[in-house]
Amino acid sequence: MGIRQKLLTVLAFSSLSLAAVAVHAQTAQEIMAGSDKVRNPGRPFRVTNTLTEYVSGTARNQSVLTIFAKEDKESGQFRDLIRYVDPPRDLGKLVLMDGRLMWFFDPSSKASIRISPQQRLLGQASINDVLTVNLAADYSGTIVATEKIQDANRQEHLCWHLDVKASNDRATYNRIEYWVEQGTYYPIKAKFYGDTGRLMKILYYRQFEERLGGVRPSEAIIIDAVDSSLVTTINFGDYRFQEIPEAWFQREFLPRLKAD
Amino acid sequence: MRLFKIALRNIFRNKRRSAMTGSAVAVATVAVLIFGAFISYMFAAFQTNVVQRAGHLTVFRTGYFLFGAGNPAAYGIGDYRSVMKLIGDDPVLKQKIWVMTPSLALYGIAGNFSNDTSKTFVGIGVVPSDRERMRQWNEFGAGRPFVPDSKLSDDDSTRGTIGVGLARILGFCGPLKVPNCPVLPAEVKSPTKQVAALNDQFTDLVAQDVPPPEASRAGGMPTVDLLAATAGGAPNVVSLRLSGADPQSVKEFDDNYVGMHLGLAQQLLYGRGEHKITSIVLQLNHSDEMSVVRARLASLFKEHNLDLEVRDFAELNPFYTQTRSFFGAVFLFIALIMGVIVLFTVVNTMSMTVMERTTEIGMTRALGVRRRSIRRQFITEGWMLGAIGATAGIAVAYVVATLVNNAGLSWTPPANVTPIPLKLFLFNRLTLVAATWIGLVLMATLAAFIPANRAAKLPVVDALRHV
Amino acid sequence: MTVDAQGHPGSSVGEAAAVRLRNVVKTYGPAAVGVAALKGIDLEIPRRRFSMIVGPSGSGKTTLLNLIGCIDVPSSGTVEVCNQDVAKLSDNSVSDFRARNIGFIFQSFNLMPVLSAYENVEYPLLLVGTPARERRERTLAMLEAVGLLEQQRRWPNELSGGQKQRVAIARALVKQPEVVLADEPTANLDSRTGASIIDLMRRMQTDFHTTFIFSTHDPELMSHAEETFVIRDGELVQPETGRLQ
Repeated sequence: MGIRQKLLTVLAFSSLSLAAVAVHAQTAQEIMAGSDKVRNPGRPFRVTNTLTEYVSGTARNQSVLTIFAKEDKESGQFRDLIRYVDPPRDLGKLVLMDGRLMWFFDPSSKASIRISPQQRLLGQASINDVLTVNLAADYSGTIVATEKIQDANRQEHLCWHLDVKASNDRATYNRIEYWVEQGTYYPIKAKFYGDTGRLMKILYYRQFEERLGGVRPSEAIIIDAVDSSLVTTINFGDYRFQEIPEAWFQREFLPRLKAD
Repeated sequence: MRLFKIALRNIFRNKRRSAMTGSAVAVATVAVLIFGAFISYMFAAFQTNVVQRAGHLTVFRTGYFLFGAGNPAAYGIGDYRSVMKLIGDDPVLKQKIWVMTPSLALYGIAGNFSNDTSKTFVGIGVVPSDRERMRQWNEFGAGRPFVPDSKLSDDDSTRGTIGVGLARILGFCGPLKVPNCPVLPAEVKSPTKQVAALNDQFTDLVAQDVPPPEASRAGGMPTVDLLAATAGGAPNVVSLRLSGADPQSVKEFDDNYVGMHLGLAQQLLYGRGEHKITSIVLQLNHSDEMSVVRARLASLFKEHNLDLEVRDFAELNPFYTQTRSFFGAVFLFIALIMGVIVLFTVVNTMSMTVMERTTEIGMTRALGVRRRSIRRQFITEGWMLGAIGATAGIAVAYVVATLVNNAGLSWTPPANVTPIPLKLFLFNRLTLVAATWIGLVLMATLAAFIPANRAAKLPVVDALRHV
Repeated sequence: MTVDAQGHPGSSVGEAAAVRLRNVVKTYGPAAVGVAALKGIDLEIPRRRFSMIVGPSGSGKTTLLNLIGCIDVPSSGTVEVCNQDVAKLSDNSVSDFRARNIGFIFQSFNLMPVLSAYENVEYPLLLVGTPARERRERTLAMLEAVGLLEQQRRWPNELSGGQKQRVAIARALVKQPEVVLADEPTANLDSRTGASIIDLMRRMQTDFHTTFIFSTHDPELMSHAEETFVIRDGELVQPETGRLQ
């Protein structure tokens, strides 16, 4: 090797180690921000989710939903408008989520009712909080360790193990253990704890694919830790950027909404 | 005096007829008094039952009573310890209060996920030792004998009870050894058990992180998971170890009831937020001090600008007031009927008497006695007959009451689950006795009026000529 | 007013009548078709006499006695007893008048069964308000006069017919009334008892100067009458001739 090549190699190594050092010097906050970005394109977008509910391993229910998501830049609050596509009996039903508030709208009766937190304890409504968690904005904590864990496909990843607590009242879960893959910032696994410290939900992301200007998970698995026979898989498909009018996130507008 | 002497002599003139009439009045008296004593006792027992369970007065956040059921968390009483101290230190209230205890009502979903059952529940968080003291309240001596209940304990906030209906629905009958409890029908039990390892991609994943069910750890007590949304709106869950099932007298409540330690309830409903309560329950030494205490509390709250209100047990249990009114009405009805019977009996007797003494009446009038005196004479006979009968009736009623009270009978009142001793509260019920006596004697007097009037108006000549 | 100012019994002449009836008519039933028991009686019964009213049954004799005794009112005409027009009085006033002025003796005795002999005799004095001590004195005196002092505590149903009538006489006289009316006083008594009763009445009348008016079928009693009034078919007739007066 010539000196030039040697110099380049040394430079490459040092930058690598520098990078490694830089990696270790990351704060929990920065890691969370990085991981949020993996899930969040940063612009209003839509995605078509296929939800499959398993009870004791048997597929029981499948729904297809279109999600329209937009961040409120001022508050950092995410709003989601969810439209049911499949099964046909649910076609056209809408669910509006704005932080902790949730409304359900039925096009056949043109009635919208508020879903209180009491009514979101079980079923589909209970997993929304897990998928839309906004780590950097609502949580703070520390890096507990750097460890190797297995993902849902039994593949190993080297991850930062974060242990974070809710930093404001908006946060749904009091405490989250979060595993973010080093380097890629992919969220691999998360454990969500309720106010009493009991484990309530476990979340795995997998099948990371290139879409909408980044690598994003295309599948999530949510395990209910309270009723352990319940597992839900969500397949995120058809990611698209879309300009979503503000009106779509107003409850009064729901009856007039026409989305495709 | 002379009037009474003569009336008495006339009453004893026809011993048999007077005895029959007097007996009728006596029987009517006995009936009214015994029924009245029974109702008196029943009211006392009923009140004792309610007061043991729910105290005399409850302090709520203003508006809770009317709107709180929809959202208990919004009507929590903050800083309740200082409110309780305020009440407990007050010189007027101090010696009137027997127990003061905080309480929290909440609702959520109870699940027995090992057999895939869940049900909405209504939970009450209490301080167990306070509740035990409350169950000993027995001002009227009408409560059932006190049996200590250790299903909830001050020291173990993870222990609690559920209603028998809820136990049945969640499939806890077997583990809790509830008698006469049907098991969940087999086909309703979800087909979860049948497909063992159809898709085991998740089984390992689940087993990795989800802790095994509490039952295998907690020394055999079955456990129920209670899910609720916190006051802040976050989903929350606690495990409740069941030390037994408490049957509730109303089915709707029995199907929903969860009883737990206050601390656990607060953990579930408030989580990381400020732990509040929904009510302060007050049990007084004497029921008749309720209005005084209530007024004092109201002024105390006003003085300290507290947004609190007071409700009494009758407002919180409309069934109580309705039942009292109902039985009060039944009693009045029976008393009225007895009065009418007395009326008819005495009218009959006095009419016969007047007819038999027609000549005598004529003679008396001839002697120069005025009409008014004749009337008075017969009315006196009527009411004296009533008085003798009523007094005899009172004596008999006391004997009957004494016998019944010592006979050790028992019965199960409506909205109750276990029997209580059956007693007649006749002693110390002077109002009842006096009112019955006066009422029936009044009836007898009224009854005598018509025949007495007829006697007074008899033309002298016709009376004398009467055969 | 049974004695004059000196305490002597007044003579029958020139004195006001004890009882005066003027054109007294008494009908029973509706005016048009009613039965006239008395058809216009004019009568004066002198004071302090043993007077008798006789007549067959249905003659109106009892009606006449009733009117005199102030226990009935005439359909028309006036009835004066001791100068008092009784028809003008209210019922209460008539009762008081009777209590004070009229004594009754009946053939069926009519004693109060729940009062002892003593109490029966005492009764009229209670009605006129005699004070207790005087009451006691006069009652006992009366009982002695009729010879029943020993039996004063007996109940009427423990007395014989004669004894009962004595009590009745004592009762009638204890208040010293103006007029004593006796309707067939000996009818329920045997002849010997009746004779003793007649004796008693005569003696009482003499001792107390009371006006005695009686009706009877008893010939023994009739023989004692000082004045006789005959009534037939509702009208007075002359005693000897039977002619209408």
